Amino acid sequence: MPANALTVVVHRSDPEAQHSFRVTRTEPMMVLDLLLAIQREHDAAIGFKYSCRVAMCGTCTVRLDGRSVLACQTPVPPERDTVRIDPAAGLPVVRDLVVDTAPFWREWAKVTPYLVPRDDLTEPAVIAPDAEERQLIDPGLDCIGCGACFSSCAVAAGSRDFLGPAALNRAMVLVADSRDAAGAQRLAAAGGAGGVDRCHYVYGCSAVCPKGLDPAGAIRQLRAWRLRPGSADDR
Amino acid sequence: MTVEIPDPADLTVVDTDVAVVGSGGAGLMCVLHVKDAAPELDVTVVSKGAVGRSGCTRMVQGGYNAVLDPADSVDLHLRDTLEGGKFLNDQELAHTLVTDAPKVIHELETRVGCFFDRGPDGRIHQKAFAGQQFDRTVHRGDLTGIEIMGRLRDQMFRVLPSELEDVRALDLVLDADGELTGLTALDVRTGKALLIRARVVVVATGGSATMYRIAAPAREKTGDGVAMCWRAGLPLRDMEMLQFHPTGLLADQARMTGAVLEEGLRGAGAYLFNAVGERYMARYDAERMERSTRDVVSRAGYTEIMAGRGTSAGGVLIDISHLGKAEVERLFPGMVERTRQIGQDLATGPVEVSPTAHFHMGGVLIDRDCRTELAGLLVAGEDSGGTHGANRLGGNGVAESTVFGARAGDTAVAEVVGRALREPDRAQVAASLARTYAPLSRTSGETPFPLTAELKDAMWLGCGVVRDGAGLRDCLGKIGELTARLEHVAVPGPAQVNYGWQEALDLANQLAVARAVVVSALHREESRGAHYRSDFPEQDDAQWSQYVVLRGNAEVETHQVQHTRLSPEEVS
Repeated sequence: MPANALTVVVHRSDPEAQHSFRVTRTEPMMVLDLLLAIQREHDAAIGFKYSCRVAMCGTCTVRLDGRSVLACQTPVPPERDTVRIDPAAGLPVVRDLVVDTAPFWREWAKVTPYLVPRDDLTEPAVIAPDAEERQLIDPGLDCIGCGACFSSCAVAAGSRDFLGPAALNRAMVLVADSRDAAGAQRLAAAGGAGGVDRCHYVYGCSAVCPKGLDPAGAIRQLRAWRLRPGSADDR
Repeated sequence: MTVEIPDPADLTVVDTDVAVVGSGGAGLMCVLHVKDAAPELDVTVVSKGAVGRSGCTRMVQGGYNAVLDPADSVDLHLRDTLEGGKFLNDQELAHTLVTDAPKVIHELETRVGCFFDRGPDGRIHQKAFAGQQFDRTVHRGDLTGIEIMGRLRDQMFRVLPSELEDVRALDLVLDADGELTGLTALDVRTGKALLIRARVVVVATGGSATMYRIAAPAREKTGDGVAMCWRAGLPLRDMEMLQFHPTGLLADQARMTGAVLEEGLRGAGAYLFNAVGERYMARYDAERMERSTRDVVSRAGYTEIMAGRGTSAGGVLIDISHLGKAEVERLFPGMVERTRQIGQDLATGPVEVSPTAHFHMGGVLIDRDCRTELAGLLVAGEDSGGTHGANRLGGNGVAESTVFGARAGDTAVAEVVGRALREPDRAQVAASLARTYAPLSRTSGETPFPLTAELKDAMWLGCGVVRDGAGLRDCLGKIGELTARLEHVAVPGPAQVNYGWQEALDLANQLAVARAVVVSALHREESRGAHYRSDFPEQDDAQWSQYVVLRGNAEVETHQVQHTRLSPEEVS
């Protein structure tokens, strides 16, 4: 095989479909570029999803050699001559690399993921950029709902009774927000049966987050608030 | 494998009060406004990709123009918008944009849950953007779209519309009397067609700039909404006005090529250099330099590259490293990360960029409440034309989608009253299905991928940053050839999750819009804003204070621009 070629093994839903492809390396080359090359040159019907291609939409999550990544922002590893691409874990496969993300969003919905504005909030709140709440919130924003954390979490992906890292991160961000009035409700969900106690602190979620968020840290914060009741309401 | 064309009588029928096609900023703001005003109405979102996560509002980096500071004024924002648009704008639409933008920013902050960056005093921070006389761009870092779309998407868990995710709209369908009845659609996951009967349809799918070789938008943006409306006979305006953003990344063959490095870089003082080290903007706009409007900066970069003063990869260089590594990383974390992924580094040195096809100012004719010529059909956001005239200011795009999305929602609530569900004309449904399933039912023929690539090249060369009559005519010929070849395209594989098939359907829409762009560009024999004709290099106000309107039969009309709010003479 020429030095600039790569063998790509792709999960296919149809066991008869071609699943191993030889692709010529280009530079720079992301995992998404590999899939597009396969689509153009080998199999126009290969199933994979993407939209923005710049790590903003979160729709191209796959596993590269087992690790949950965004295809669009993950360079093809330079040292290898074979890579394997599988669908995200813990979600039903629709076809090939395309999964049904509904279970992820069902968990997300359980934490009341939208701002419930306080009655007196009629003007944009005056909050200094270095306020304590913003130091909690700002690093937790920019979640793109890609589900990489969910896919990498053995508890979330392995069963159906854990809210999962992304939903708990969203809950923490909203509980910390002084503009919001539904903190108690969210803390109840986060502290309930499918909540923070299901987390085993493997930190897979924080390790794979393509936006550099720390969902495991958010889960720790939610636990701290639960152990000190009322502390979140003071915010 | 061959697939039968479904019988219209066998389609799954979805009945809804309001069908919203598209789930970006315009689509979801529309849903929110309908459901908050009239929770009893059934609203169905039809989204080709993931709801709230496809399309381009999500990709907004820079920010959102809105007048918030007492020292600023909506009159000044209007003036900037009209001057930027070279006075081709529908001034009532532009006025609506600048008047509603502060209200919508308030709504996004206090109801939707967005939190925009604050200044040291704890109030919303507004930054400098090109082409504006006041620093009025609201933002969250350099990834503003994620905050807006993330929060809007979360609101959907409160108002709970029906979501048809991975379902592409195909065609608007009318009844025998010519009344709107709804649309045909295709479930991309199952490969099955749907008939959506709706009392009101809102089209908000986004633009079509993906039909260029170097292009910024998300993959969904293939002109679906405009093409649907055109096929239904609706008039389009300003189709020649396709904006090139001056600073798209060059990443060789990687799909990331064309992704935008945001306008705020130039606002914050970035320099543009050609390959021989000249700060070339001095030749094109010595006063505003890099902070000139997008049309001017794009054309300057293109001209430098074409004159042989570009880099070997066919670009120019943007450099903001003189602000210092730490400051660039603090101000533009998303942009720094983006460049590092392709082996460059915005924080420490120059980065190669090229003009990139970005935004379509042209689109469907609407009034300020998003109504069209067809009763019951509303259009909002990039699918509409007129708001931005010949050139859109950075920061006015997400303002447009959310302002007019909200208005479309308000209008839909009023329009639904008295509009019953209607039975579509069976022949129209059958024609839509036949067109859709044809590529999948053929057993031999070329795939759509090379055709898409040829269209992108033809548009880049023939109808790009700089145009002339001969090149436009060649391009039109090429579009005709590709349209004919598309009639013979075949896609292998099953109907389920088949993006090869989807590519063929996207291409049909791209070709329809491309034809309208080229026909309009041929007609406008002058240069204005984003439309630059090297054979007619001057702006000709005596002849061309007119906008170009196309109808489905490609008949070209021109209409005088009405300067209802401000005339060019008042600002000169």
